[in-house]
Amino acid sequence: MNTRQLALIPTCIALNVAMGKVVQELGLPIYLDAVGTILVTTLLGSGAGVLTGGLSQALTALLSGQMMWLAFLPIQVLIAIVAGAAAQRGGFRTIGWAVAWGALCGLLGGILSAVISYLLFKGVTAPGVTALGALFRSLGLSLERAVTAASISTDLLDKGIAFGLVAAVLLALPARMASRFPGAVRATRRGA
Amino acid sequence: MTPGPPPSALTRAHPFTPLTATLAVVFLAFLLPAPAGPVILAVLAVASAPLLGDGGALRPTFIVVIPLWLLLFLVQGVLGDAPFTAIGPLTLSVAGAREALAQGARLTAIVVPSLLALRGFRAARFVDAAAERGWPFSAAYLVAATLQTIPRLRHRVSLIRDAQRSRGLRVRGSIVQRIRALVPLTLPLILGALADADDRAVALESRGVAAVAVPGARRTPLDPPVDRALDRSVRWGAVLAVVLAAAWRVIR
Amino acid sequence: MTVRFDGVSFTYPGSAVPALRDLSLTLAAGEVTWLFGKLGAGSSTALLVAGGFAPILTGGERRGSVRVGGLDPGDPATRAALAGRIAYVSAQPHLQLSGLAETVFEEVAFAPANLGWSQARIREAVPQALARIGAGHLAERVPTELSGGELQRVVIAAMLVLAPEVWLLDEPASALDPGARAAAYGLFREEARRGAAVILATEDADGALEAADRIVVLEHGAVAQDGDPAAVLASDACWLLGAGSTTIGELWRAAMDRTPAMARGSVPLTLGAAVQRVTGR
Repeated sequence: MNTRQLALIPTCIALNVAMGKVVQELGLPIYLDAVGTILVTTLLGSGAGVLTGGLSQALTALLSGQMMWLAFLPIQVLIAIVAGAAAQRGGFRTIGWAVAWGALCGLLGGILSAVISYLLFKGVTAPGVTALGALFRSLGLSLERAVTAASISTDLLDKGIAFGLVAAVLLALPARMASRFPGAVRATRRGA
Repeated sequence: MTPGPPPSALTRAHPFTPLTATLAVVFLAFLLPAPAGPVILAVLAVASAPLLGDGGALRPTFIVVIPLWLLLFLVQGVLGDAPFTAIGPLTLSVAGAREALAQGARLTAIVVPSLLALRGFRAARFVDAAAERGWPFSAAYLVAATLQTIPRLRHRVSLIRDAQRSRGLRVRGSIVQRIRALVPLTLPLILGALADADDRAVALESRGVAAVAVPGARRTPLDPPVDRALDRSVRWGAVLAVVLAAAWRVIR
Repeated sequence: MTVRFDGVSFTYPGSAVPALRDLSLTLAAGEVTWLFGKLGAGSSTALLVAGGFAPILTGGERRGSVRVGGLDPGDPATRAALAGRIAYVSAQPHLQLSGLAETVFEEVAFAPANLGWSQARIREAVPQALARIGAGHLAERVPTELSGGELQRVVIAAMLVLAPEVWLLDEPASALDPGARAAAYGLFREEARRGAAVILATEDADGALEAADRIVVLEHGAVAQDGDPAAVLASDACWLLGAGSTTIGELWRAAMDRTPAMARGSVPLTLGAAVQRVTGR
């Protein structure tokens, strides 16, 4: 690992955790805990994204005391893969495109997390999702369907906004900084 | 760094010991027969906090755990499937209540040692222990640098929020307004963090990190933590307990 | 170690304009060389290139030859051989922390530990380095809780402990109060006497004039003036490059435009010289 990755990866992990505070300040029903993962993937590639996402998940589990969140590790891998594919194809060239890629990521991630949370916890994960789940359940959906619906609708919104934010950051990068990251140039199709 | 508890059995322990024990509890919580196994584990975990000299960890534990217990009983017990049984004024699904009890106990059993391990975690001791074992420097650095960056970024969120508020940013209102407020809050945070990381790379490079990045190079541990017989037996005991529980699960 | 630039050009990625153009310069061991110029003249870039940080960390394209003690610092293969021998200090102390240390002692010990020094050697060298920059009392403090000035001294101590052969200093004293600033410049002179090549890029003409043995004035990434600091700084040619002068020098030149009598003779750069010019004593 080179010095630059060594400096950037902890920053992006910390960003994943610190976004929790932003969301909390604004009282939004989403997490945005993958912004750092998506960002590092566009800058340094999917490998760095997997490492950042995996370590973030482990750390969130440790900091919140909820080791069971480790079970959602595969989702971080999925995010890094989808973000990597989006970056390869210039998916961050406008905020609209990024939100669309994010929605795709949210859909896939929602399905995966519904499967994991049903298998492991029979529907109890984060309070937000659980409350939504209880709502869907009271509307007459079965437990499995309620969990799936709750987690997919949260994930669609969450990943759409997260990808959009990363596009906003990449598009706002000063030219000199952007050009140090060939990945960022490709993801936004700058100068193309 | 967050100020931790006063020196206790936990801060004196080898840094790998609490982490190993925590991981073992995570495995045991899912391996032992529910609900009795997780319940016993949870009771032991709660009792261990004051015994290990950090009873203060129980307060944040309860803050995390109690709302989840309530939600579990709501989702599983109240909204669960028949047959139902009456407990006081409540009508609960029998299977749902059992499940809620097991999940709640698992959660509690896992939260307590995690918080204890985290409150006793010292980055420098961890890096020293890792250096002594010949771990790659980058692995230890990633863990410790991340833990140092988090409080700084969280602090910066507050600073940016105050600055933007004084320029008239509204952080309350409809959900669309609040989503719009994300951009002025996060753009300066992320751009600033990226610029810092670039400078940090130069600082690391000039501080001899290139020398430890060479295969076979070893960093000098400054104050290597003592790995006592007690530490080793706790770690081996934890591993053994997990292996036995897993074996029992397989042959049962 | 001597630092040699031979026909060096450097262009940052994405930039059309080179930051250094055909720069040839030899910076001797045992001397404090002051790189001076307008913002963007190339002083900071020259330091980054001398340390190998450009292009290894910044990206970009370098042409020509750079040698530090005979090795090319921009070659990734020489990084381990040069580790700990080139010190770099910039103006933002909080960005130069290791990110690992919980005490100032550990912060200063970070680089020696990376270089694999023995514990005994580290325990001896760290307090000495802190004491030399007047920061011995900070040893047990938490780095993130220090003031900017205290932190800058810790960062300098973290380099000093290595007894580096080259010092690359980019506005190293800007966070320091006047007393600490004078002490820091004194320390850099001592380091040059010890045999290090000290390269100081700063706009603080008052401090640098005292500390430097030689001035190199850069313009558009190339050498415009080179020589004795006092003589070059007092010259009209240097003034016309627009990089400024000492406080007294700038004051004198502002007054000179209105008082032709002041324009006779050379421009004084220090308070003492100005008093002498005015009173004739």
